Amino acid sequence: MRPFIIFVLKNLQINEGMLVSIIRTIDLTKRFENLVAVDRLNLSIEDGEIFGLLGPNGAGKTTAVLMLSTVIKPTNGTAIVGGYDIRKDPNDVRKLIGICFQEPKLLWVGTPWDVLNWHAKVCGLSTQERKRRVKQVLEDVNMWDYRRKKVHGLSGGMKKRVEVAKILIQRPKIAFIDEPTAQIDVVGKHKIWNMIRKLRDEGSTIILATNELFEADLLSDRVGIMHKGKMLVCDTPKTLKDSILGGDIVDVHLEKEVNGNAMKELKSFREVVDVVILKPNDLRIHLNKVEEVVPKIVNLFLKNGFPISSIRMSEPSLDDVFVHYTGLTIEEAEQEITSR
Amino acid sequence: MKAILHIIEHDFRNFFRYKWWLAGLISMNLADLLIMAVVYNQMVSPEIAELTKSYFNFFAPGVTVVGLFASAFMIGREINMEVRRQIHHYMLSLPITRLELAVGRLFAGGLRGMMYMSPLLLTTFLFLGFPSLPQLLVILGALLLLATGISGLSIATAVSTTSFEKFVTARGLVYYVLFFCSSIFYPLSLIQTLGREGVMPQPLVVLAEFNPLSSGADLIRSFLLGDPPFTLNMVRNLVVFSVIFATTATFAYMKIIERR
Repeated sequence: MRPFIIFVLKNLQINEGMLVSIIRTIDLTKRFENLVAVDRLNLSIEDGEIFGLLGPNGAGKTTAVLMLSTVIKPTNGTAIVGGYDIRKDPNDVRKLIGICFQEPKLLWVGTPWDVLNWHAKVCGLSTQERKRRVKQVLEDVNMWDYRRKKVHGLSGGMKKRVEVAKILIQRPKIAFIDEPTAQIDVVGKHKIWNMIRKLRDEGSTIILATNELFEADLLSDRVGIMHKGKMLVCDTPKTLKDSILGGDIVDVHLEKEVNGNAMKELKSFREVVDVVILKPNDLRIHLNKVEEVVPKIVNLFLKNGFPISSIRMSEPSLDDVFVHYTGLTIEEAEQEITSR
Repeated sequence: MKAILHIIEHDFRNFFRYKWWLAGLISMNLADLLIMAVVYNQMVSPEIAELTKSYFNFFAPGVTVVGLFASAFMIGREINMEVRRQIHHYMLSLPITRLELAVGRLFAGGLRGMMYMSPLLLTTFLFLGFPSLPQLLVILGALLLLATGISGLSIATAVSTTSFEKFVTARGLVYYVLFFCSSIFYPLSLIQTLGREGVMPQPLVVLAEFNPLSSGADLIRSFLLGDPPFTLNMVRNLVVFSVIFATTATFAYMKIIERR
C-alpha cells in the first residue's frame, strides 16, 4: 500500500483545493551519523505562495532547504520540485531554483559587482539584462557605492545584502531564502521584506526559512513549524494562532462592578474559554476569534447596564503558537538542540 | 559547454586576484633559476657536469615544470577552502550539472597552470633557444596534459581531506615526493645509476622513471638540449597520469563533495 501512496503522491501535482503544488516532499529524511537532521518531512508548497519554514537554529530548516535545492542528497524519501524528482532529475530542479544562503557564500577575493555579475551570467541572463539587473538590485539593497570593494572588507550585514541580491537578480521560479534579514538593520529589513514580496508578485514561489517569528508572520501565506527535524504543524499564520484555545485576550475595564448574570452570559459564549476577574471592575477574557466576539461582548455589557471605560485586545503571536506546540520558547528550543 | 566556460572564467578570475601570492611564487621560481641554478652550476662535480653540460640549462626546464605544478595545484587549495567555508553549497546549487562543474574546475586548474608557466617557459626558451613549431606544439600539448593531471590530483586531494591541515600535509607529501623523486633537479640517468649502485632505494628510482614531472621536464630538454633523447614513453607517462587523475578528480568532486 505504501509504495502505491508514494507513487500517487509523486505524480500528483494538484492539491485537494485545486491549488498547484510546486513542491511536495515525501518522507524526506536526512541523517548525519547519529543525528536525524530532517525526519520524514511531508510537505506541500503551492505555486506562488510565500511559505515560512519556522523553527529555532538546528531545527532542520537549512538541511531541508539544501535537500530541496539538490545541494545535498536525502538519506531517505524524496521531493518533487517543480515537477522534477530531486533524486532522479537534480539538473532539471536546479534550473528552476535559486538560493539565498543563511551564511553568505561569497568568495572573499571578489567584489559585489563581480560576484553578482558572474552569478547572473551562470543563471543565463543576457549581457544587457544582466548589467541592468545587477545595477538595479545593487542600488535597491544600498550596495551600489560598495560594488568595487572586496567582499572580505564588507560588514556582515553588507555581505548578507549581496547574498540576498543574488536571488533578486536571478528571479528563479522557486526561491529558497534562508534567514534573509540576519545581521541586517531595521531599515534594511523592511526593504528586504518588500523585495521578497515583490519577487513573489513577479511569479516566484518563496520558501522562507527563518527563526524570526515576526518575519514569518509578516511575510508568509502559510507557515510550517519545525522542531528537532520534524514538521510539527503547518497552516496559515491566522489558523495557527486561532488553533490555540483561548489564545486571544481581551482586557475590559468597566465603570462599575460586574454582576453574576452578566458573567454567566459572558461565559456562555462558545468562543470564551475563561474569564478572570482581576479587580471587581477589571476582567481578563481568554477567548478565540477575538475579532468576531468583541462586538458581542460590548453589546452584552451595554445591554446589562455596565458601561465600558476601556477595552484592549491582544492576539497570540507565532511565539505563542511555537510554545503551544513545543512547550518551549524558541530560545529554550534552541538551547535544547544545542545541548543534544 | 557554456557552463564549463563560466566555471573556468570564475576560477581564472579568482586566480589572478591572488596577485601578491603569484608575485611571490614567480619570484621564487626566478630565484630558483637565476640564483640557485647559477650557483649549482659552479658546485656540481665534473662527472655530473659531464652529464648535464650546464646545470643552469639543465635546470631551466625543471623550474618551468615546478612552476606549472605549483600553480596548477592551487585549484585544490581553493576547493578545499570552499568546502571548509561551505561555499561549495553555492557552487552545487547553480543551474549546471555536476559533471560540467567538475570538468570546468579540472580544466580551470590546468589552464591556470599553463598561463602561469608561460613566462617561465619563455625564459627557458630565451636561455636555451626556441624549438621548432612542431616541437613547440608537442611541448605545449605535453605540458597541458601534465597540468590537467596535476589539477586532477590536487582536486582529488582537496575533496578527500576533511581539514586544511590534512590538505596541507597531503600537499606537502605530494610536492616533495614528486619534486625530489624526479628529474627536475638531477638527471634521470644519474638516479638510475645511484639505484644500480644501491645508493638510492629502487622504489624511488622507479617512481622517478614514471614520475610525470620527470617526463615533462625531460620532454622539454629533449627538444631544447637534445638530451635525454625524446621517447614515446614520456608522452605515455603524461597521458596515463592525466587520464587517471582527471577521471579520479571528476568522480571524487562529483561524489564526495555532495556529502560535505
